[in-house]
Amino acid sequence: MNIRIWARSIAKGALAAPAIVGFGLWTSPVHGGGHVSGDITMIKGPHSADEARFEAMIIDDFKAVEPGVNVEFTTYDWANMNAELTAGFASGNPADVLYLVDLIYPNYAELGALLDMSDLVNSEEWAEERALIPEFAWDLARQGEGTWGVPVLGAVYNIYINKDLLAEAGVLDTWNNSYADMMDAAKKTTGDGVYGFSVRSRTGDFAFWDWFPYIHNAGADILTDDWSGCGLWGAEAATQFLIDMHEAGVTPPIGSMSTQEQFDLFKGGRIAIYHGETPQIGELNANPPGFDWDVAYAPPGEHGQTVMGNFGILSIASASPNQDAAWEFIKHWASGPQVGRFAEQVNLQVVREDIVADMFADNAAMRKVQQEFVPRVKGIQPHPQILKILQSIWPVAEQAYRGGMTGKQVIERMCAITDEILG
Amino acid sequence: MTAYLFLAPALVFFGTFLIWPGLSLFVQTFHNGGVMSPAVFVGTENWERTFVDPLVLKTIWNTLRYCLMAIPAVFVIAMLFALALNSIPVGQTAFKTIIYYPTLQPILIAALMFTFVLHQDFGVLNIVMRAITGEPVNFLGDEDLAMPTIAMVEVWKGMGFWALLFLAGIQNLPRDLYHAAELDGAGPVRRFFQLTLPLLKPTFFFSVTFATIVNLQVFDSIFVLTDGGPFHSTASTTWYIYRSLFTFSEPGYGATLSFVLVLVVLVLTAIQSYAFRDKS
Repeated sequence: MNIRIWARSIAKGALAAPAIVGFGLWTSPVHGGGHVSGDITMIKGPHSADEARFEAMIIDDFKAVEPGVNVEFTTYDWANMNAELTAGFASGNPADVLYLVDLIYPNYAELGALLDMSDLVNSEEWAEERALIPEFAWDLARQGEGTWGVPVLGAVYNIYINKDLLAEAGVLDTWNNSYADMMDAAKKTTGDGVYGFSVRSRTGDFAFWDWFPYIHNAGADILTDDWSGCGLWGAEAATQFLIDMHEAGVTPPIGSMSTQEQFDLFKGGRIAIYHGETPQIGELNANPPGFDWDVAYAPPGEHGQTVMGNFGILSIASASPNQDAAWEFIKHWASGPQVGRFAEQVNLQVVREDIVADMFADNAAMRKVQQEFVPRVKGIQPHPQILKILQSIWPVAEQAYRGGMTGKQVIERMCAITDEILG
Repeated sequence: MTAYLFLAPALVFFGTFLIWPGLSLFVQTFHNGGVMSPAVFVGTENWERTFVDPLVLKTIWNTLRYCLMAIPAVFVIAMLFALALNSIPVGQTAFKTIIYYPTLQPILIAALMFTFVLHQDFGVLNIVMRAITGEPVNFLGDEDLAMPTIAMVEVWKGMGFWALLFLAGIQNLPRDLYHAAELDGAGPVRRFFQLTLPLLKPTFFFSVTFATIVNLQVFDSIFVLTDGGPFHSTASTTWYIYRSLFTFSEPGYGATLSFVLVLVVLVLTAIQSYAFRDKS
């Protein structure tokens, strides 16, 4: 828990109390306070083994201001989230509040399963809160004409470096100046059971997250700006770089290890430059490895130096019979003290800009990710078919990493698949 | 009338849980949507797509390839275990329990256990491979080895079930025939090939049919271990049905693929029935 966020919140409340009493009117910008009632359910994938306990804290705080609303919390399994959410929607009785990631919500929005929250998030009473969430996050919550949720959390896909290995090889200060330097560092640190570089390769591990910064830095994206066709043209050289990395023999044997197995190898001091994700910082802090490590991001490309992030929004099911209570709960969940505390508990990033400075005071790596990396985030394009496109094109890269294909051929094949899906 | 009344419970059960869902599934093949959005009639679009989608043919071939690896392997191993168990005079129950134990393991546990067997660095099998060849084997990352590896995990899980089934079959064979064969000088190998195997034909017919139906639906081990990779080399038909239904939200296409699988099962079962027919 971040004491400072709470202290500030309490101080604000103390200062506001006389005014509230004086005017005889509750004017909290966060939530209305006691004017809604009913039972609602929230569903979310767990970000921690203690998810239920952390959610109970949020719900208990909500109960204090909205005693008429009962919130039941339930989880879906990340690996089966589509199946479980689809079953819920198809039943006609889905959860009222849903935590959905940017990869999957567009499809549900297109199918009419989610409430268009444009009016709610643009309402005057919530304008102050809305302004605290940056535009890039709202872009990720918008698809078509609608806004399908309130952006709350993000998970950055960052690089972890073993500083000792890089220092021993004399490349600690240069390894991410350019792709050539990265290759050089990977080669110099490989040997004696140590791999210089690792990225995920399996479709099942959502390996495309690690590939995104390289194609974004090349000025490309999965789709064109108007989402009408394949936007990967321009990513040939970046993809070739990753193919070359694998062919240079500086990576673990392709496809031999899952995300966790590669992370275990990094923790064992056997990977110098490892592509991972920020919740792993918690594990590194809890069980410090026997070397000095840091978080980083990919070298600059021709069109920038971005970081990949995967964001979650809080949505309301269009079939929810209690959308007012659901909206009050979302406002509460997305408020600074609540989302800030939760993000710290599970080592995720927040999108609200007002609480960033106070967060992760005792966690240098997370603070660096939150303050330096998040502003560089370029997320996915929330097209209704984006998950299908990514899962359909990724096997091409999986094959290419094993050799026999050039970056140009990869992009050509990926674009053929993408254009076919888009029709 | 009485006969129909007696049949009624079974007919209602099959009608509700088999015929009606089957018909609904068939109707779904001519629609898009229908789960989260209203069904839209699209004629034969889904069927046409099935014939031009290269992944359909690949998943059918992968599934058949898996069956050809897993079923004979598990039958041979299970038969060896059954024969061994049959010859154990004392402690048979304990050995049966041990052999059946893998069958009871959820696939997630089995997958975790096999991490310690297959892992590139510390997997037991790879330690052995390194000792023999000097190189570790990329079991799940190599497109040629991934499916045999999944078959190996499934064989490990299934051998206990089939061993006990074969053991039950062996123990029900008439003893007097074996005594007669022994008196005629037939050795154990000859008795096995000329008595045991022919007499177990009904058991084999059930086993082959059942194993084919079950293995054509292989999903959980693939979902957990490779998720169809590397580059679809372990993608099974059921995996593709799951993907279509739940990941890509294409219930019409998923239903069509389900029907394709049903047709494959029917054809193979018919072939097996013909092969195992009673020629007498």
